[in-house]
Amino acid sequence: MKKSRFPLYITIAILIFFYLPIIIVFAQSFNASRFGGAWKGFTLSWYWKLFSDKNIWHALTNTLIIAVSSTFVSVILGTLAAFALYKYKTKLQISHNILIYFPLVIPDILMGISLLLFFVSLNIGLGLVTIFLAHVTFSMSYVAMVVLGRFQDFDYSIMEAALDLGATWRTAVRKIMIPYLMPGIAAGGLLAFTLSLDDFVITFFVSGPDSTTLPLYIYSMMRHGSPSVINALSVLMVAFTFIIVFLSKKLLEAKE
Amino acid sequence: MQSNRRRKNEVLLTLPSMGWLILFFVIPTILVIAMAFRNSDPYGGIGDQWTLDTIRDLRNPNYPSIIWRTLWLSVVSTIICIVTAIPASYYISRIRKKFQDIILLLIIVPFWINFLIRIFAWKVFLHPEGLFKQILVTLHIASPDALLLYRPEAVLVVIVYSYLPFALLPIYAAAEKFDFHLMEAAYDLGANRLQAFLRVYLPGIRMGLLTAIIVVFIPALGSYVIPDIVGGPSSEMIGNKIAQRTFIDRNLPHASALSALLTFAVILPAAIALTRKFFKEKNSASLGI
Amino acid sequence: MDDFLILDGISKSFGKNKVLDNISLSVKKGEIFSFLGPSGCGKTTLLRICAGFEEPDSGRVILNGVDITKLSPNRRQVNTVFQNYALFPNLNVFENIAFGLRISGVKESEIKDEVHKFLELIQLTDHAAKRPDKLSGGQKQRVAIARALINKPNVLLLDEPLAALDLKLRQRMLVDLDNIHDEVGITFLYVTHDQSEAMSLSDNIAVINEGIVEQVGTPTQIYEAPRTSFVAAFIGDTNFFEGDVIEVDEPYSKLRIDGFTDVLVYNDKKIKNGDKVYISIRPEKFTLSIEKPDLSEKYNFVKGKVEEIIYLGYHTKYWVRVNEFLVETKRLHDRYMLDEKMITWGDEIWLSWHADYCYMLEQYNYEDEALLTLPDEEIMAELESEAAEEE
Repeated sequence: MKKSRFPLYITIAILIFFYLPIIIVFAQSFNASRFGGAWKGFTLSWYWKLFSDKNIWHALTNTLIIAVSSTFVSVILGTLAAFALYKYKTKLQISHNILIYFPLVIPDILMGISLLLFFVSLNIGLGLVTIFLAHVTFSMSYVAMVVLGRFQDFDYSIMEAALDLGATWRTAVRKIMIPYLMPGIAAGGLLAFTLSLDDFVITFFVSGPDSTTLPLYIYSMMRHGSPSVINALSVLMVAFTFIIVFLSKKLLEAKE
Repeated sequence: MQSNRRRKNEVLLTLPSMGWLILFFVIPTILVIAMAFRNSDPYGGIGDQWTLDTIRDLRNPNYPSIIWRTLWLSVVSTIICIVTAIPASYYISRIRKKFQDIILLLIIVPFWINFLIRIFAWKVFLHPEGLFKQILVTLHIASPDALLLYRPEAVLVVIVYSYLPFALLPIYAAAEKFDFHLMEAAYDLGANRLQAFLRVYLPGIRMGLLTAIIVVFIPALGSYVIPDIVGGPSSEMIGNKIAQRTFIDRNLPHASALSALLTFAVILPAAIALTRKFFKEKNSASLGI
Repeated sequence: MDDFLILDGISKSFGKNKVLDNISLSVKKGEIFSFLGPSGCGKTTLLRICAGFEEPDSGRVILNGVDITKLSPNRRQVNTVFQNYALFPNLNVFENIAFGLRISGVKESEIKDEVHKFLELIQLTDHAAKRPDKLSGGQKQRVAIARALINKPNVLLLDEPLAALDLKLRQRMLVDLDNIHDEVGITFLYVTHDQSEAMSLSDNIAVINEGIVEQVGTPTQIYEAPRTSFVAAFIGDTNFFEGDVIEVDEPYSKLRIDGFTDVLVYNDKKIKNGDKVYISIRPEKFTLSIEKPDLSEKYNFVKGKVEEIIYLGYHTKYWVRVNEFLVETKRLHDRYMLDEKMITWGDEIWLSWHADYCYMLEQYNYEDEALLTLPDEEIMAELESEAAEEE
C-alpha cells in the first residue's frame, strides 16, 4: 500500500508554524524600522537601548532571587513527596498524590487569584516573599512528578543490599539512593527553575510594587514600551536559554 | 509496634509537601469559592457580609457572551490541536528513531522561549504594519485596512500555537508504543486505510488522545495573557474579566465569583484526568513535559 | 555446635495471609542448604527473615548460638545475593564489591587487596572499572556474589540467584557457585523454585509448600523417598496409585490396586491389613518390553497399551494405558541399534518394575495430582520451547 504523504505535510506545516513568528522577531531585532513592514537597514541600537535600561537589571535580579530560592525549596519538598509516594501505598498517599497532581492541571489564573485572596485575607504584604511562596507551590508538583518518574525504575532491593552489607539507613540513603535519584532531582530542579523564570500569570497576581520580575517587566514594556527593544530582549533570552540547555546537557554527558 | 513506627515515618515524610499544598493550594481554593458569597466594600477590599448578590451579578448581560466565547475558543482550539497532532505524531512515530528525536527537539525548542515573548512574536507577526500583512495585501488576499490582530481568530491561532506541543507529545508517546502490525492485520482482514485508521489506530492511541485533550482544554479555558495581548476588547475571555475585576475594578468578591465559575468548569476534565491517572494504565507522557 | 543456623518455630503473616506456619529447620556449618518450593510458597520470606528484612510474628533465628531474630540487617553476619542482583548502579564493579569493607572502615590498602582477590575469584579483574549496566547477566551475578562474600559472612543467602539467566549460563553458574563454595567454605542458604538447581547443588534440601516444610533431606532422600505427594510430584515426574493393603510383611507388602494389578511394595511404614495407602513410582523405574519378561517374584508386571509417545532425544516418554490408569514411563535410548522392534503407538507392551521402586507416601493430597504432567501438556511445552529457541 502506498504511503500517504499527508502526515508528512502536516508535520512540516506545524514546524513552519512554530518557527515563523520567532524568525520574524529575530529579524526585527536588527531592523531599523519599528514594525518591519520594510527592511530599513541593520542596527544594534535596540540592543543598546536595552542595556541602558536600569529597570531591566533590577527585574532580572528579582527573577533570579525568586528562581533560585523557589527551586531550592521546591526540590526539597518535591523530592520528599516523591519518596513518600514511592515508599508507602496507603490511603494517605492517594490523597497526597491527588493533591500534588492538582496544581499541574489547574489553570494559572485560578492559582493566581486564589493565592492573592489568601495573602490579602491574611494581610500579608505582596512582594518577593509572596511570589516565592507561589512559585514553590506550583514548582513542587513538577519536581515531585519528575523525581517520582526516576523512582519508578528504582529497585528497592539495592537499599536492602546496602543494609545487608552493613550500612545504616542514613548511609544507604546518602550513598545509594540520593546518587541514584540525582539525575531526576537535577531535571526536576531545572524544570522548577525554568518554570519560575517563565511564570507571568501567577506572579502578576501576587506581586507587589517593588517586586517586578522579568516577565512582569516584559509585559509592561509590551504595553508601553518600544516593541523593537522587546525583540532584542527576546533574542537575548532565547540565546540564554540555549546556553543553559546546552550546558546542562554537557554536564550530564560528562557525568556519564 | 513496627507498624506504628512506619506510620510515624510516613507522616513525617508526607507532612512537608502535603502541609504546604493544604496551606497554599487547598485553603486558597476554598477561600475563592467562599469569597464569591461576600459583598465588596467600596475601597477594593472584601466586605464582611455573606450575600448572594455577587453570584447574581454574574447574570450581567455581557457575561454570557464572554463565557460563550471562552468555551468555543477552548473547544475549537482543542479540536484543531488534536486534529493536526494526530497525523503529525503518526508521521513522527513512523520514521527512524534518530529523526524522531530531531523532530521532537524541533517541536520543543520554541517552547524554551519565554511564554510572553512567544505571544509577543505573534503580535509582531500579525501587526498591521508588519511583513505578513504586507505580503497578504500584495497577494490581494487581504485588503489594506483588514485587521489581523485584536480579533477572536487571532486568539484562537495563538492558543493553538501555545498548546499544540502539549497535544503532540502525549499523542506521539501513545503512537510510538502502538504496534503497527495491527494496522497490517486490519488491512489483511479487508479494512481500507480509513477503516483501519478509525477502528484500529485511534482506539490504540486513545489514552494519548485523552491526555492531549485535557492538557489543551484546561489551560485554554483559563487563558488570560493570550487574549490580553493579541485579542481586543471584542475577544475577552473569562480570564481577562477575572484580572479586570481584580486589578482595575478592585472588586475581589466579583473576581472570586468568576473564578469559582471557572473552577467548576475545570473540575470535570480535571477529575477525568485524575481518575485516569489513578485507576487506569500508566502513561509516561501524561503531562507531555 | 553441629547446628549452625537454627530456625525455631517461625511464623509470619502478611495481613490475613499466613505465609509461614511454624517452620523449624537447622542448617549445618559449611553446607549448602536449599529452600525449594513453587513461587509463593514462602521460601523468599523465610530467607528475608534470615537476612533481617522481615521480622517473624513468632519464632527465633539462632546463628552460631546467638538469637539474632530482632537484629537489624546491617548488624548481622549474614549477606545476601539478591535475585535481581541489586548492584548499586552509581558505583562501578570495584566499588560495589568494596562497599561492605568501606562501611566497616577497613583500611584503603587492605580494601584494594581484598577486592582484587575477589575480582580474581570471579574472573572479572578486567571489568573492575565498569558500571553494572555494562555487564552481562552472568557477570552481574558474579559481582553480586563477590560483594556479599567479601564481608566473610557466617551465612551467604542466595535468593533465586540464577533465575534471570538463560539455561546454558545457568548451568555454568551452577558449577561456578559450587567451586566458589568449595573455595570459601561458607554456609550457603539457597532459595530456588528449580528442582534441578537444588538437586545438583545442595547438601540438604527443605521442600516448602504453602508455608509448611514438606520434607527435609538430602537430594537422594527427597527424590527416592518422598514423604508426601507434593514432594513426589514437585520434584521430578511420578505416578501415584491408591491401594488397599492385603498382605503385610517386611521388607515387602502387597497392595491391591483396583483396575491395575496387585503390587508388591517396599514397606518402611507401620501398616496393617485393610489400610488405604498411596504409592509413588517414578517413570524411569519401569522397564518396557514387548514380551513378558522372566524376572524374580520381587518384580511387578502389568500389561498395557501405548497411548502417547514423546521423543526427547536422550530419552523417550511413553504413556501406557492400563484400564483407567495412564502410566508415565521413560526409556533411555541405549539400545537404539540393538532393538529388534521399536515400540510404537497402540502396541501392547509389558511394564515391569522392582518392588523397591514403589514408595509409600506418608501424606497424600489429591490437589498435588495437578502437578503431574500429562502428555498433551508435555507436547505444548515442547513446542513452546522450540519456538522460543527459534527466536
